[in-house]
Amino acid sequence: MRYFILLFAAMLMLCSEMRAQQQQEPWNSNQLMEPENLANRINKNQTANLLILTIGPDALIKGSVDMGPAQEAENIDKMKGYLKKVPKDKEVVIYCGCCPFDRCPNVRPAFNLLKEMGFKNAKLLNLRKNIKVDWLDKDYPINE
Amino acid sequence: MRRIVCFFLTTLFASHLFAQNTPLEIGQPAPEISLPQPDGTPFSLSSLQGKLVLIDFWATWCAPCVEEQPELKVLYDKYQKANPGKFEIVGVSLDKSKENWVKAIDRFKIDWIQVSDLMFWKSPVAKDYRIEELPFNILMDEQGTIIAINLHGKKLSDFISNYVR
Repeated sequence: MRYFILLFAAMLMLCSEMRAQQQQEPWNSNQLMEPENLANRINKNQTANLLILTIGPDALIKGSVDMGPAQEAENIDKMKGYLKKVPKDKEVVIYCGCCPFDRCPNVRPAFNLLKEMGFKNAKLLNLRKNIKVDWLDKDYPINE
Repeated sequence: MRRIVCFFLTTLFASHLFAQNTPLEIGQPAPEISLPQPDGTPFSLSSLQGKLVLIDFWATWCAPCVEEQPELKVLYDKYQKANPGKFEIVGVSLDKSKENWVKAIDRFKIDWIQVSDLMFWKSPVAKDYRIEELPFNILMDEQGTIIAINLHGKKLSDFISNYVR
């Protein structure tokens, strides 16, 4: 019986910790864009109302604009300057792709900036592992 | 007869595809790496035959890789400087920015071989070594055979220490 109580307590703690972690992220699940979805839109030329920004090591995705890694303050300034000219209702999707989100130093500062600047249609590309596995290996469109 | 040829070709094609996608294994030869060093001097992995070689795939945008560099320096100072003919480290960077790469080499006082084509994940070396994520490393023996894959921390230092003993 004691074992079950302990197990139950441990599970409860784990659940609440997971929830706390989820709540800490600046984005919600509706703001995650699936790579397949973006690749389809690029392939069908349906990106006129979409701005794709890389906030990581390289602008690999076709049509994306390079802001530089967002963990560096100068790149955040660059992104701020670039976004000043962009209408706030424009759909903006950012991606890094160095590694999973829990280890990425770039996605949070960049997504927070989009929120601070009032972009209502901000998205984060859901590259679960990295840009190699979740984009390149799938032969999705890239900047040559 | 045509059926047999067809079956043979399909099998050959399938095994080729399979070989392309499966990860490298211990006992296989380490694929050749021919890439430039920061000053442009060409380097070939095959030139290191006869030594135990740690091939460290890294990038300055990979935080755990960067954190590992001081540990590699300890290994390098301990095993390479004591036995220059027996051990070597080759850092293969998947960086895009040469500036970042060179800065990190200076910052961590990396004095082992460093090479990169500055092609990020598009580098053919990532495909040759079937790298899916960083950090990633390989230990290659004197004959160019892979003898360990992705060892880090104490496991890595223990392996090298046992090997060179």
